[in-house]
Amino acid sequence: MAEVTVVESWRPLAAVLVSGLAVAFIVASHRHQNVRESWSVAAAVGKFLIVASMLPGVLGGMEYRWALGMVPGLSDEFVFGIDLALRADALGMLFATLASFLWIFTALYSTGYMRGLNEPNQTRFFAAFAASLSTAIGIAFAENLVVIFLFYELLSIVTYPLVAHDETDEARAAGRKYLAYTFFGGGFLVLGGTVLTYWLTSLATPAGVSGVAAGESTATVTFGEMAEPLRVVFENGLAPPELLVLAFAMLVLGFGTKAAIMPLHSWLPDAMVAPTPVSGLLHAVAVVKSGAFGVSRVVLYVFEPELTAELGMHIALASLAAFSFLAASFIALRKDNLKRRLAYSTASQLSYIIMGVALLVPTGVTGGLLHIPAHAFMKLTLFFCAGAIHVETHTDDISDMAGIGKRMPLTMSAFAIASAGMAGIPLVSGFVSKFYMLIGALRMGDPAYAIGEPTAAGFIFSAALILSGVLNIVYFWPVVYTAFFESEDRHDAKPLVEFPRGGEQEAYGVIDDVHADGGGPLPDGGDEGPADEYVDSHEDADGAASDADSHDDVHHHGPPPDGWERRSPRDESTWLILVPIAAIVTGAVVLGVIPGNVAFLDLAIQVAEAVTGQGVTL
Amino acid sequence: MSELLTLVPPAFVILLAAFAAVVLPRLPGHVLGAASTLYVLAIAVFAPAGDYWTVQFLGFDGVVFFQIDPLAQLVALAAGILATAAVVYAYSSDAPRVMTAFALSYVAATAGVVFAGDWLSLIFWWELMAVTSTLLVWHHGGDAVRAGYRYAIAHGIGGSLFLFAVTWHLAAGGGLSMAGGIGAGTVTPLAALGIEATAPAVLAALGIGINCGFIGLHTWLPDTYPRPHIAASVFLSVFTTKTGTYVLFQSFPEGSMLLAYMGGAMAVYGAGFALLQHDMRALLSYHIMAQVGYIVAGIGLVASAGEAGAVGGMMHAFNNILFKALLFMAVGVVIYRTNVEDLYELGGLWREMPITAGAFGLGALSITAVPPFNGFVSKGMLLDAADPASHYVHGGNEVVYWLLMLGAIGTLLSFIKLGYYTFLHGEYDGMVSDARPGQSAAMLAVGGACLFFGLPWFWADAAGFAAGGIGVDVHTFHPYSTSHLLDAAMLTGVSLVAFAVVKKPLSNVGHVPDVEIVVEPLVFYAGKWSAYAVTEVYGAIDRIAVGFVRTCYWIGTNPVPATQRATGWLPASVRPRLAEEELAASGGDPSRLYLRAGIGTTILAIAAVVTAFLVVAL
Repeated sequence: MAEVTVVESWRPLAAVLVSGLAVAFIVASHRHQNVRESWSVAAAVGKFLIVASMLPGVLGGMEYRWALGMVPGLSDEFVFGIDLALRADALGMLFATLASFLWIFTALYSTGYMRGLNEPNQTRFFAAFAASLSTAIGIAFAENLVVIFLFYELLSIVTYPLVAHDETDEARAAGRKYLAYTFFGGGFLVLGGTVLTYWLTSLATPAGVSGVAAGESTATVTFGEMAEPLRVVFENGLAPPELLVLAFAMLVLGFGTKAAIMPLHSWLPDAMVAPTPVSGLLHAVAVVKSGAFGVSRVVLYVFEPELTAELGMHIALASLAAFSFLAASFIALRKDNLKRRLAYSTASQLSYIIMGVALLVPTGVTGGLLHIPAHAFMKLTLFFCAGAIHVETHTDDISDMAGIGKRMPLTMSAFAIASAGMAGIPLVSGFVSKFYMLIGALRMGDPAYAIGEPTAAGFIFSAALILSGVLNIVYFWPVVYTAFFESEDRHDAKPLVEFPRGGEQEAYGVIDDVHADGGGPLPDGGDEGPADEYVDSHEDADGAASDADSHDDVHHHGPPPDGWERRSPRDESTWLILVPIAAIVTGAVVLGVIPGNVAFLDLAIQVAEAVTGQGVTL
Repeated sequence: MSELLTLVPPAFVILLAAFAAVVLPRLPGHVLGAASTLYVLAIAVFAPAGDYWTVQFLGFDGVVFFQIDPLAQLVALAAGILATAAVVYAYSSDAPRVMTAFALSYVAATAGVVFAGDWLSLIFWWELMAVTSTLLVWHHGGDAVRAGYRYAIAHGIGGSLFLFAVTWHLAAGGGLSMAGGIGAGTVTPLAALGIEATAPAVLAALGIGINCGFIGLHTWLPDTYPRPHIAASVFLSVFTTKTGTYVLFQSFPEGSMLLAYMGGAMAVYGAGFALLQHDMRALLSYHIMAQVGYIVAGIGLVASAGEAGAVGGMMHAFNNILFKALLFMAVGVVIYRTNVEDLYELGGLWREMPITAGAFGLGALSITAVPPFNGFVSKGMLLDAADPASHYVHGGNEVVYWLLMLGAIGTLLSFIKLGYYTFLHGEYDGMVSDARPGQSAAMLAVGGACLFFGLPWFWADAAGFAAGGIGVDVHTFHPYSTSHLLDAAMLTGVSLVAFAVVKKPLSNVGHVPDVEIVVEPLVFYAGKWSAYAVTEVYGAIDRIAVGFVRTCYWIGTNPVPATQRATGWLPASVRPRLAEEELAASGGDPSRLYLRAGIGTTILAIAAVVTAFLVVAL
């Protein structure tokens, strides 16, 4: 580990508590909508500023630590000699900066979304949202396994009302499933793994562990301090290696549950019944990333690369991740509900992060960690877009979206850019992280971390990444082209894999749009000429029969009876929804073009170089 | 003055013009677009070779984002002329503003590829080229949409393979610089077949091969190019494939006999299938494959005949950009005026459309290598390189030479067919106007260039670019040697006779299936059944998990019947009595425990328990 200066500071605690405090204000001002939402935004900005204030220091090699002992009259100890402490290190800052920054925009967006739909129980919603952010930052800054476990469980609890927000049977069922998987399943695995690790570290002899005097206990659960005793135990055979593997597996699978690693992913698509801002910030960023973040902590700061490799766990974990992201992509192909397709995409992309970290080489770890913000910006954009479509048109299924680009040009453009990023196409952040990960995978297992033949495993993992990029194109492009380039009266039935090869023509049976017969989405320039005539006239609207019944109710879904109206980007929705979309997608592009100028890449490289002891180079 | 040209990469200028084309009215938008492509021309002609631009990109220092060298200037010269003419043509062919904007962004990405100074910037623009060209296809709507999706998947695979090649090259320590081509790394995956190419080289050949339309990887080409707007076809016909050959040469500066054989085979295969087509643009699309085959053969021949092969190949790319686009323009005008795509439905158009017929003639004479047109010069250079008996270049290859000769006959035959049935044969009934002024201007300008760069006085100047960039004395070549003139006369004569013979049977040939009848179902069903398999397996897992949880719930809420069932198999003497008695007492109703609470209450209860736990623990 590189030398770091640890500074005592209240700031990590403040960052955690500021939104917790906001919960009280939000509940108190439940009668005044605008005041209530102002608290959310104020807390978000405050939280981001507190986190950002630590950024220069952390980038300069400092760590900010708060411990219970800083409260007069109390000691650091929590239980069994384990401190109740928060520490803002580079990895924690990566996650905390991201979550707090994106919350600002999500707070604005939620306001637009919840009001646009006249949702009930908005106070509970905003309060729980603020509380979730508190616990997410707690996870980011947790100094040891016990503290991270506490926040991990708290996060599961406070997000439950958000998942079950609709209070329908479906929402309650999803909520129960959510708790069963993450609180009970994931949480207990983490707890078990923590206890097992604590016990295993206690078996070490002080001689081989730095900073522990003879006669003292070597037991610890502090990140960055566990690897040494565990190595002593492993190398001297003080405990069966199977137990070390078990501890690793319990911790990784425990956190992996929240990262929707397959086959523990099934709660995530069901949780899409939640309002879209929840699906966006929590089930694309804060909650699921806390799972991926937890896995990173376990691999990089509990077992650390050397021991992980000696146990052979990196191959196992990367294989599981590669399998997950391919399988999730295949499932996504069949989903017609946009949010569910996005959910499987999330499950897939989270496994990118896990795989990148499991590669254990500097470029791979950098890529994996950079994918935390890269994916967050892109996926949040996609969810915001799905939500905007829902608020404005009540449309949820891709098969109802032919021609929707006319109605929501800005939203769907942002969607197109973000989905290109998902496929790892340049200009968007997904390309950068994929690029680092590919190089990392091809260097995997090379002792010099640089030159030479890739290992067989490295080849398979990189090939899986390549294949996954193609699958992303395959399942995202139909959404893009149906929105902009197909018309209400002439489009392929979706999802494509459910229909014959070459597509099945379908029409909603709405009134024919003047330009539907092969012209572009914008009116032709008005210049005379037979340009439009040489295109085949479009097929008639036979295919409408199956859909016809659902088009009676305009507010149900799909286009209104006379087709989508054409709107300009300025009035397709409220600014509360459009500004966040535009801001976040811009962020995704900024991160894709000049990642070196935004803190995330530097933080990722800092972590990767510290834990591997190697430089990140081409 | 000329140094100013190196300040801004042309890609940025054209991108800016693309944005302007969306916002501005049609005329100023197109004028600005044409001006921006003239900038490429200016760089090609005036900018000092050797200048470059390094930036920090994706967090890596010293990325050469923009580099001017003679070979890039050669390609840029043709691309600049053509792009400017194509913008004029698009304006005059009623191209919508957005379509021209997409076309300009596609040109921008191409300019990025051509002037890219290293692998990272090359792959960046390469993938953007695939995306922007997809948008250009999609924009036409109708049939073009699904074809564009297949195009996107093909190029997604191609781009991913090339990205794989580049990352492998970098991971193996090959460095960012493109000097020496791709192929660092020690793995030779095809060694068992006697092919000593490294893995990155094989991957790059496949990835670039998709762009170049290698046999078997070419299905997207005749599938896509006949479908979009006529002006879109002009852009598409040029940039993707010819940039592909340019990048192929940069990746394989040493050539390879495998490439040479592939090129020869493509020339024959493409010309053969072209001969069988009815759709005019499909015929031209197969000719792209055939002509790119010549270029690929030239690049491959470097392995045996030295740099001369590459000079011929690059010169042919240069000429091909001009005459292939010209042919698409002329055929586009025919379609624009008549709305007919099938050449057998036309005839006698030379009387109605003399300008278009003349432009077509210029293009056809160039592609069929008739002196003094540019195709004659570069094909002569290629045949010199391939001819084992050539006096000027040594080291040709018999097989490749005869394949190229055969391809030349096929080319002649199919252009005689296209010209004969469209313009000469019979009478056209009805009135058709000739090309619009802008279309005529564009066609005649490009046609003039085809003639200009073929004239004995000028070919050496143009070829000087290629020869200078590759390092060959341009006087090695003697395209106007007697043997070449005789060859041309002989080939033309043979073809005219052959056409008279095959004309009748040829017109009875219907649609001939190409490899797409294997490739497309393979891709589609592989995707479809993978998706089905994965979803069904996970569906089963989820049902088991949910069933298990449901059983647990049921046992929890129906303890009595559960006990009854669980103990039902026990002999009556041991079976607990209690259950039956209770069942009887409550009138046959199973006992139930109702444990339901509102969400708020539940959270309150859990929060209280957690707080209590914290208080106790502290």
